[in-house]
Amino acid sequence: MGLRQQMAYRLAMWAGLATNLFFGLLRVIVLIALYQAQLSVNGMSLQQAITYSAVAQSVIAFLTVFGSSDLMRTVYSGAIATDLVRPVGFYGYWLARDFGGSLVNLVGRGLVFLLLFRLFYAVDLPNDVIAWLCFGVSLALGWWVSFSWRFLVNLASFWTPDALGVGRALFGISQLFSGFIMPLRLMPDWFRQWSEFTPFPSMVNTPIEIYVGLLSGAELWRALLWQAGWALALFGVAQLVYAAGIRRLVLQGG
Amino acid sequence: MDLFSTGLMSGIGFLAVVLVMLRFESIGGWTLGEVAFLAGMIEMSFGLMDMVFGGFDPDWFSGVVQSGRFDQFLLRPVNLATQLLGANFLLRRLGRVLEGIVFFGLSLWLTPVSWSVAKLLYLPVVVLSQVVAMGSLFMVGSGLIFWTVQRIEAVNILTYGGVELMSYPVHIYPRWLQRFFTFGVPFVFLNYYPALYFLDKPDVLGFPVFAPFWAPLAAAGMLLMAIWFWRFALRHYQSTGS
Amino acid sequence: MAMIQVANLVKTFTVNQRGGGLRALFAPRRRTVTAVKDISFALQEGEMVGYLGPNGAGKSTTIKMLTGLLVPSSGEVLVDGMIPWKNRIRYVQKIGVVFGQRSSLWWDLPVMDSFDLLQAMYSIPRERYQRNLKMFREILELDDFLQLPVRSISLGQRMRAELCAALLHEPQLLFLDEPTIGLDVVAKERIRTFIRYVHEERHATIVLTTHDLTDIERLCERVMILDHGKILYDGALKQLLERFEGQRRLVVTLADPLAAPRLPGLAEPRREGAQVFYSFDPKTHSAAQILAMLNEEQTILDVEVRRAGLEDTIRRIYEQQLLFPVDDRTGKAN
Repeated sequence: MGLRQQMAYRLAMWAGLATNLFFGLLRVIVLIALYQAQLSVNGMSLQQAITYSAVAQSVIAFLTVFGSSDLMRTVYSGAIATDLVRPVGFYGYWLARDFGGSLVNLVGRGLVFLLLFRLFYAVDLPNDVIAWLCFGVSLALGWWVSFSWRFLVNLASFWTPDALGVGRALFGISQLFSGFIMPLRLMPDWFRQWSEFTPFPSMVNTPIEIYVGLLSGAELWRALLWQAGWALALFGVAQLVYAAGIRRLVLQGG
Repeated sequence: MDLFSTGLMSGIGFLAVVLVMLRFESIGGWTLGEVAFLAGMIEMSFGLMDMVFGGFDPDWFSGVVQSGRFDQFLLRPVNLATQLLGANFLLRRLGRVLEGIVFFGLSLWLTPVSWSVAKLLYLPVVVLSQVVAMGSLFMVGSGLIFWTVQRIEAVNILTYGGVELMSYPVHIYPRWLQRFFTFGVPFVFLNYYPALYFLDKPDVLGFPVFAPFWAPLAAAGMLLMAIWFWRFALRHYQSTGS
Repeated sequence: MAMIQVANLVKTFTVNQRGGGLRALFAPRRRTVTAVKDISFALQEGEMVGYLGPNGAGKSTTIKMLTGLLVPSSGEVLVDGMIPWKNRIRYVQKIGVVFGQRSSLWWDLPVMDSFDLLQAMYSIPRERYQRNLKMFREILELDDFLQLPVRSISLGQRMRAELCAALLHEPQLLFLDEPTIGLDVVAKERIRTFIRYVHEERHATIVLTTHDLTDIERLCERVMILDHGKILYDGALKQLLERFEGQRRLVVTLADPLAAPRLPGLAEPRREGAQVFYSFDPKTHSAAQILAMLNEEQTILDVEVRRAGLEDTIRRIYEQQLLFPVDDRTGKAN
């Protein structure tokens, strides 16, 4: 990449981080005002809520919380034809491709963001190695769930020419139920219960609650299993939908 | 469908806040209904602004300048600003206006507001002020593109971030932020102070009694600065080309 | 007074130096590029001039200054008594511009809608609008695609629509920037015919910028050649060809090609089958002379005289730098 391109890319990255930081800090201010004098709400203390927000914002890029549209674009442009000829499985291909990019974002955007954030508010760290491990596993599972979800949404392009519009709506909904905007613990119980019927909490809320230390012992294992369950379920659904979609695509002539 | 998804997108953020407030009941002493008043107002106005000032949307405008299409605007015998105001009209942005109306409606349902003729007359003035003020920010953002060609993310913080900021009562923010949005970019007078007037709430920041009515002044001030800057930016473009 | 009067026009740009590492971020090295270095010319009403030059010569910069898009660093431009960039709206009303590479029409709207919008923008009286529209529809054969959106018509169709659009408000001055670019031979000819029509019937003043030298050959009597921001030539096309045409070729088919002689004052001829090629400088020899010399000894079966095209001529001028900038202090052309 030419130096000028790199400069532009880096500037864009800093700009993105600045926006991230702004919204993250705004969220924390709102949380502080909400908590007022209360020490803990539904088991979550203010400090934990702040840490939650910081970590949530830092993994935005890694988890691609706002959704992606790369796949549907290849469908619409016809480039998918070359992808289908590859010997690698379609799902696996996109998985690998996505993971590579996401990993870069974890360090580049995620870590840097946390460092910047610490200039304003304190961010807790998990207590011991085991906590870190559990978080790592949970985050990876969360990523997998997120990927399968995005994969599925993009597959809508096999059926409708306006997958972008559909995607926008669906990604918006997933943001709400995933606990990205506000921790699910701070929402009414009935809302939390309903959201458990969706894969979304597994993407953001679960890993971050583990990080913050709100889940332990049996609860922790249950949460991880639940996540794994969703990951596998979505994986299975993705395969089915994909098969159906390919059949349709081939029949229609692309 | 497009309308719905656009409205949903922008509404999701505040919806999360609504849900959270069901547990907390108040923020900075303001109830959910009162906060919804703030959010509803500014969302309606932003949506309207987005439709009217669509041509000045930096995201769209940067594409126009980069591709060289902007020259076409200069070659037509019509005032430039007039051309731009109609150039990027997207009906689906109405979705955000509708979403704002929903939240505003929610607020009115939850909070008793004692309406008077004066308040009813001032309400559209406030909306107009907000539209003009945010439009000015768009104008500045687009003007900057003549120098940088790519849009500047920082402007997004003022426009989209500004909408979020104005959705909450100002006294929850740290002092330095409050001061910035009083003397820097006068957001405080656009939504918060008029809301104090409509909702009959006391002023905890100690501003003069007339502060709620400074919204049109703040908007006018921002507009004048934006127009001046836009003209300056245009002159720069004409002496350096694309 | 001339329609277009340009005096000592200069345009300088400051460009950021690329690269340079970290230093470049804080103190970018700036370079001044002078795109147009003191040019002057005048165009009378009703003239059509071909504006030529290699890429980067400063042509588009000049055109931008003439159309009011760019403000010069120094010098004067007077078009029809007005300064282009001052009073933009009034000035633009009087000119028509066609960019070959960019469209002035509304991409998603039917062509007809673009015309209607232009009528509103230029405040064209209804009667005049209808009259012009009818005429252009006929001449340019627009009816086939008048109701189609601009994005779905072919390039040739689009160029016809653009020409119509540029002329609806009856401007007396036209700037055509590469109007035939990317078109097939038939389409090009159509556009040229139309331009000729506009020039002759409407007495429009036209500045035609093009890389297609056939355009110039077909349409322009006067050419201006620009290179490195300076005018190399401003005058009649005929004279340019006469001066710089270079070698012509006499192609004779001989009964006995192997016996083709080397003629005095000429280079060794080239043989290709039965054809023999003699290159000669038309200033020193004439085809007739050479034929006479050949006829003495040889049996000539067929004759052809090939001239260097405008393209070859121009190429030679660029490559061999045969022209030097016009020194307008002394007023002498070279």
